[in-house]
Amino acid sequence: MTVNRRKKPASVNPMKIGQSLGAVLALQGCYRAMPLIHGSQGCSAFPKALLTRHFREPIALQTSALQEMDVIFDANRNLEEALNLVLSKHRPDIIGIIGTELTDVAGVDYQNMLKTYKRERNMRGGLAFSVVLPDFRGSLESGFSSTVEAMIDEMIQQVGHRGTRSMNTRQITLLPGSFLTPADVMELKEIISSFGFEVIALPDISTSLSGHLLTGFSPLTRGGVPLDSMLQSLQSGLTIAVGGSMERPARRLHNAIGTPYKVFEGAMGLKATDELLHFLHQISGEPVPLRYCWQRENLLDSMLDAHFQFAGMSVLAALEPDHLYSVSGWLEELGVEQKALITSFETPLIAGMEREVWVGDLDDAEVLGKGADLWISNSHGIAGAQRTGTAFMPAGFPVWNELGAYMSVSVGYRGAMEWSNKAGNLLMQREAGHRESSVRHR
Amino acid sequence: MDPLRQDEFDSQACGSIAPKAKPCPRPKPGEAAGGCSFDGAQITLLPIMDAAHLVHGPIACAGNSWESRGALSSGPSLSQYGFATDLTDSDIIFGGEKKLKDSIDYIAGRFAPPAIFVYSTCVTALIGEDMDAVCKEAADRIGIPVIPVNSPGFVGSKNLGNRLAGDALLQYVIGTGEPEPETDLGVNLIGEYNIAGEMWDIEKLMNSAGIAVTSRITGDARYKEITWAHRARVNMVVCSRALLGLAKEMEARYGIPYFEGSFYGAKETTYSLRQMAYLMNDREMERRVDRLTEREEARLSQELRPYRKLLRGKRAVLYTGGVKSWSVISALKELGVQVVGVGTNKSTEDDVRRIADRVGDDTEYIPEGGASRMIKTVRERKADIMIAGGRNMYVAMKEQIPFIDINQERHKAYAGYEGLLRLAKELTYSLTNPIWKLAASPAPWDKEAPPYDR
Ligand code: SF4
Repeated sequence: MTVNRRKKPASVNPMKIGQSLGAVLALQGCYRAMPLIHGSQGCSAFPKALLTRHFREPIALQTSALQEMDVIFDANRNLEEALNLVLSKHRPDIIGIIGTELTDVAGVDYQNMLKTYKRERNMRGGLAFSVVLPDFRGSLESGFSSTVEAMIDEMIQQVGHRGTRSMNTRQITLLPGSFLTPADVMELKEIISSFGFEVIALPDISTSLSGHLLTGFSPLTRGGVPLDSMLQSLQSGLTIAVGGSMERPARRLHNAIGTPYKVFEGAMGLKATDELLHFLHQISGEPVPLRYCWQRENLLDSMLDAHFQFAGMSVLAALEPDHLYSVSGWLEELGVEQKALITSFETPLIAGMEREVWVGDLDDAEVLGKGADLWISNSHGIAGAQRTGTAFMPAGFPVWNELGAYMSVSVGYRGAMEWSNKAGNLLMQREAGHRESSVRHR
Repeated sequence: MDPLRQDEFDSQACGSIAPKAKPCPRPKPGEAAGGCSFDGAQITLLPIMDAAHLVHGPIACAGNSWESRGALSSGPSLSQYGFATDLTDSDIIFGGEKKLKDSIDYIAGRFAPPAIFVYSTCVTALIGEDMDAVCKEAADRIGIPVIPVNSPGFVGSKNLGNRLAGDALLQYVIGTGEPEPETDLGVNLIGEYNIAGEMWDIEKLMNSAGIAVTSRITGDARYKEITWAHRARVNMVVCSRALLGLAKEMEARYGIPYFEGSFYGAKETTYSLRQMAYLMNDREMERRVDRLTEREEARLSQELRPYRKLLRGKRAVLYTGGVKSWSVISALKELGVQVVGVGTNKSTEDDVRRIADRVGDDTEYIPEGGASRMIKTVRERKADIMIAGGRNMYVAMKEQIPFIDINQERHKAYAGYEGLLRLAKELTYSLTNPIWKLAASPAPWDKEAPPYDR
């Protein structure tokens, strides 16, 4: 319908997250990878701390550690030094060089530098790519999808031209969007493989940020999709992208090597899951596994149980674009009023939504969502929810006020059920609180 | 004991007042850790709770950093708001000064803060925004202090940022106000940020000895109280040496004597309280401090007894990135915990000397190397527990090493006598948790897996 902005000069309580953090997140889903932020120290220290706080996992990340004079004179000398050190010391399979606003504004050409570097050192066997992600554009979501796209580009360049492609129709490449938790990615992989497909998730945070206990410390990523699987994914018969932002990398694969793709924009709720399962059923010819039929009934039953709780309630959601779209679809099914929808930046998916969406910050959420019963946003929203007396449900990134947030499921019937129950419980507790206080004050 | 390395001596400049003499060692590309100067400046100034803190730059500097510290407030919370000019492409091309000015006006109009701190970041520094001029013009126009903090990330480390923030306070804040007539003047606490409420424990102690806090610089501070910091009778620099320059300058300008101290451990706490009373030159106060510290120490040693038994002889590796190293060592020693490895990577020469005074001869110094080096030390020195910043917490968890968080983001207050008791309890909980045994035992069907080696 319309995308609006409130007029104010400053951002107050930002929900936008720098693009480079999205890139770092994407690289955590690749095995033995090292994201390298080309910028000053803080530009890597902040994302590292924030990701650590959200996932409660060590995060692989390095920086070219630019200082004032480096920026002015020769920033790429630092990058070269960083590359030398990382390559000789840790031998990563994948290096992603992430350009920041600083290198952007200073006009540093690290793309060419990387090309020369690779040529001169005769670098083969690994993936090394760069991506330009200044923070004055986009947000976490765009940083994530651009990085996946750059990664795919590099893969195609490495093997794409080698002879004709042998296609494996039983293999699917899954491109999960940045808003999906490790548990979500796991759930999607399970759903797709239950129809008899091999799934390669790109990237795969479900095996790196889901909490495993490998011993033997390494500064590289400790899980995620290994390089050989990544390259093998070029043989997939189909790409499934989840989240509108992942359409571009899917299209890249299609244009370069002809892999057909299907995008699922919404990933939450009954209808979205129905669509996914129906699609998988059609392309595989396999029946929908019994457990999902069960789960569908479980979900419907729990929605019936909960609908009393949701009657007459209103919700505000402040999330990254794809996530907001998904959550809005689920809210629709609950029959609650969507009082305010706020997102970090405008995307085609958001522009095409049938509801009014605001591009803004958590202060806008506070103003526009006044009077809502439930507040859904990242943990930065807690203070605003408290000020407005709204029940708070953490979602998105970063979430630090809840254990295991990164393992909560939102996709599939199971995810919709988990979210509906969580939201319903919050509203129930709030109601109980109100009742108590009204008794006390009489 | 390992000989000290040259760069440890070089880093001395980071803590003293003359920064130009020797620059801090350059962070190593590909192996750097830690925050930028902008981060450091925020650490120092954000605890001024009623002020607005506006970050001038693209969104990430503010967006990725707000609400990440454990500095608590007893009242106003405006400093917890994340304000940013959120520059876009076109702002960068055409300059962000107009937006900065509008943002300042907007914040002043809507939130009516007593002051606005404006932070430069790498990009605004690089494109040469004249922030000082904008701030000055705005301050004159709207009638509240608008203070530029020139500490863009790329000028150096967090430590340098702390110091630049201190410079901003000296230049724009301290000495611009006067205390109310009935105010009881006493001590400025410099470099204590009220992480997890430590300031409150300290203040309670001071008050029960009859010592007043004049200005908190800056834990749980109000803007106004810092304007009259020059009226204090004593300055105490708490742990962090980054703000030592501030104390020295105040001694030169206003003749306020200062001392460096810490509140970690009973001994250090007692020493600090005594030092305050001594420098105030007040016999009666000294007597009160003596009585208080005696009573508190006796009570503490009573309450610590059960924990001491368990902690005696335990071995710890300490990796706090410098400033806190020596003060925490004292606290641990009092609990009978032996520090067998200590990170010195951001310590100044003085810090290192103080560490040396406090540890035994077989303590390993870890000058650099981050997480892997730390874990190696834990293994080699057969340590029982690691004490470090939150960033390393999950690295330790993966290795199944008991861990205590000692940094900015933590939620436990360890200062003063109460704090030492809390630390003893935390150490005990951590060491005796059943998870260590459970995590180390393989699943029944995996019995052939090699037993966990520690
Ligand atoms: S290094 Fe510069 S750009 Fe990066 S976070 Fe710090 S101030 Fe911002």
